[in-house]
Amino acid sequence: MESASLPVGHAGEHEHHGPPDFHRSARIDQTVLGILIFILSEIMLFASFFAAYFFIRVVVSPDSWPPAGVELPVLIAGINTVILVSSSFTVHYALEAIKHNNHRGLRLGLGMTWLLGATFLFIQLNEYVHIGFSARDGAFGSIFYGLTGLHGAHVFVGLLLLTFANIRAWRGHFGPEQKNHLGVEVPGIYWHFVDIMWIVVFVTIYVI
Amino acid sequence: MAVALRQPGWYRGALGALLGAAFGFGLVVALRAISGLDVFQTEQTGYPHVIVPLITTPFGFLFGFGAFDYWFRWAAGKPTVPEDHANHGATRWQDYFKFNTDHKVIGIQYVVTTFGFFLIGGLLALLIRAELAQPGTQIVDANVYNGLFSTHAVVMIFLFIIPMFAGIANYVLPLMIGAPDMAFPRLNALSFWLLPIAGIIFLGSFLAPGGAFDAGWTGYAPLSAGAPLGQSFFNIGVQFAGASSIATALNFLVTIITMRAPGMNLWRMPLLVWANLSTSLLVVGATPFIAGAQFMVLFERALGMNFFQFLEGGDVISYQHIFWFYSHPAVYIMMLPGFGIISEIISTHSRKPVFGYRLMALALIGIVVLSYSVWAHHMFVAGMFDWLRVPIMITTLLIAVPTGIKIFSWLGTMFYGKIHTYSTSMLFALGFIVTFLIGGISGVMVGMVPLDIHMSDTYFIVAHIHFVLFGGSVFTIFAGIYHWFPKMTGRMYDEKLGRVHFWGTMIGTWGTFVPQHWIGLDGMPRRVADYASQYGDWNLVISVFAFILGTVQLVFVYNMIVSWRFGPKAGNNPWRANSIEWQVSSPPPVFNFDQIPRVVGGPYEYGTPGARHAIMGDEDELELPEPKPSTVAGPA
Repeated sequence: MESASLPVGHAGEHEHHGPPDFHRSARIDQTVLGILIFILSEIMLFASFFAAYFFIRVVVSPDSWPPAGVELPVLIAGINTVILVSSSFTVHYALEAIKHNNHRGLRLGLGMTWLLGATFLFIQLNEYVHIGFSARDGAFGSIFYGLTGLHGAHVFVGLLLLTFANIRAWRGHFGPEQKNHLGVEVPGIYWHFVDIMWIVVFVTIYVI
Repeated sequence: MAVALRQPGWYRGALGALLGAAFGFGLVVALRAISGLDVFQTEQTGYPHVIVPLITTPFGFLFGFGAFDYWFRWAAGKPTVPEDHANHGATRWQDYFKFNTDHKVIGIQYVVTTFGFFLIGGLLALLIRAELAQPGTQIVDANVYNGLFSTHAVVMIFLFIIPMFAGIANYVLPLMIGAPDMAFPRLNALSFWLLPIAGIIFLGSFLAPGGAFDAGWTGYAPLSAGAPLGQSFFNIGVQFAGASSIATALNFLVTIITMRAPGMNLWRMPLLVWANLSTSLLVVGATPFIAGAQFMVLFERALGMNFFQFLEGGDVISYQHIFWFYSHPAVYIMMLPGFGIISEIISTHSRKPVFGYRLMALALIGIVVLSYSVWAHHMFVAGMFDWLRVPIMITTLLIAVPTGIKIFSWLGTMFYGKIHTYSTSMLFALGFIVTFLIGGISGVMVGMVPLDIHMSDTYFIVAHIHFVLFGGSVFTIFAGIYHWFPKMTGRMYDEKLGRVHFWGTMIGTWGTFVPQHWIGLDGMPRRVADYASQYGDWNLVISVFAFILGTVQLVFVYNMIVSWRFGPKAGNNPWRANSIEWQVSSPPPVFNFDQIPRVVGGPYEYGTPGARHAIMGDEDELELPEPKPSTVAGPA
């Protein structure tokens, strides 16, 4: 292990065991930039489903929307919205906590976020069971389940990421420096995206 | 054996694939049992017992192969080292068949694999031409013919042109910007391994009951929604290929933004880097649309949902809108990296700076912006909104402006230059300009609504897309491979064979695709296995040239394989080029640089005495001038 103690990248040293440190040409962290670009892609995936939604609603059946006999549970979905939006605040609290080296706050915030997200998903599934129409019932049913299901899948992925963050938070792997809490920040950014996207889905499907 | 099954690799990959298939099959059986359906479907509409394993098997393979090992360790909260180089670099040929995180190894994996798919797609094309050589039915019936042209297009687009550009850039781009690797090496490796999976799925559709997917590469719904099982292979394969290209594009964007060498501001980036920056913006923004479209078709087929069925309240045309919102930008995804390659080659072999460098870069960005606004020119006769036709026609014609800027700038670069045509790469670059120009102009023709109404679904369209995709993309790919072959292998190829390959390809391309314009204008429809006998003579001519074109590619294969093994040593910089990748050894060392180079000038300062692009780390720093501050502010 002697070589490891030598200064890396010394001019006279021709053998080394890793790459030279790359030059950082932007201040933003690579992982954060990566998740932001990935979210751009995700927004476009949602946009393709929204495009289908508006073609069905505006072009094909502008006069009968939603179809006769369909009542969407706006109140329950609204409560669900409040639950999901509040989870954005708890994940932000967790990030702020670890920035100030508050591990208890981190665990509390991440745990709350996970529970709120799981509650959202549970209520959503319960809504599917009781809503009274299926994905096969015409284009309305298909695009309803398509959009909310696509969003639900994203909540599920977000929950997985939060699970990993929770595990590492309980093991005390995170710290106040940015490179030591990317495991909280990156799932947090994704979670905010899932939240904001739900507001768009909710307003489109249930409200307008 | 037990040890081999525990370590990541092919054995564990095979086991993972088996487990993945069993899991998918079991999942379908279990879910059907729970919901009270017949455990084994007898009516066979959606084939869930096939398509669910088709999704889970690749993931099982990737788990076994080691693609997710690091992320699993991370997810389980085990200690991990972000700079883990266990899978990095190649010392033996076997290392090219592993989950390797070195961008140079991945680049070669990409180039070789996608070239294999090019040969497969080419064989499919020759089968098409054999069938069309005479009127009537020759070797295949109409159904098989539909499968042939569909798979030909899909293999060429999703498995050859798009990933080949990703492969060339994977090798060259980190070297060009002075980075030791890509930003996310493990994601980079995963993107590569998704490709052969997509290829196996696409080609595996030939084994499905009902034959290969046959709704064209566009897979228009509702036709595709009711097609036999093979269509689902297309829906799923596109997801794997699309995920691969999104991940690669994300990787390129982060690499270009965060890992440039000191001194390389935006206006000192080589145009290949600019081209990949713009292409990646297109991929990240547009590819999710084809993913969405194919998800919807898959849901229609497998779950009985209705997005595009008019009788169920769906919109028939909306599939085309969503599909082309990806697939028109996709033609620029297939073209912009080629523009970058050509800029490098023309400048190097004319010994002159690129004419209008900044405008060249801005033209790329202009194409990116405009290409999002032209999708509906594929739908002038589809029955879409009338009011959309003229605006889309105008944006379509506008896009010829930035493209024209690029063509004129290449000509301006060569003007009074010392043009070196001894290199096959330069020959292909020149051939590209001529051929692509014709394809571009016929594109302006079909972009006009009245002409398009006449030419829609005729061989004129086939001629146009082959002039831009073969004369454009494939020529630039060959130019790029010839140009960087010495860097990738450390050896020179045979220029004589290269010239044979170039002239054969040039004559084959023009002979094959020029007459298609004429029979197209006469009204010969595309995508039909048989045709009126009056087109017979021209079709025979086309088929003969197509076989010449196909045969000549064998010269290329021979040249590449033999030169790779036995060619003379190339040296570091056989083309006397300025950009950074030529300043390191051929092939470059495992981590590219001992010290990150410093960029002190533009990349194309040919002919200016004493001008430098970059100062390598091992040069004596005292004698060299300080980097000049750039006049245009870029991100520091």
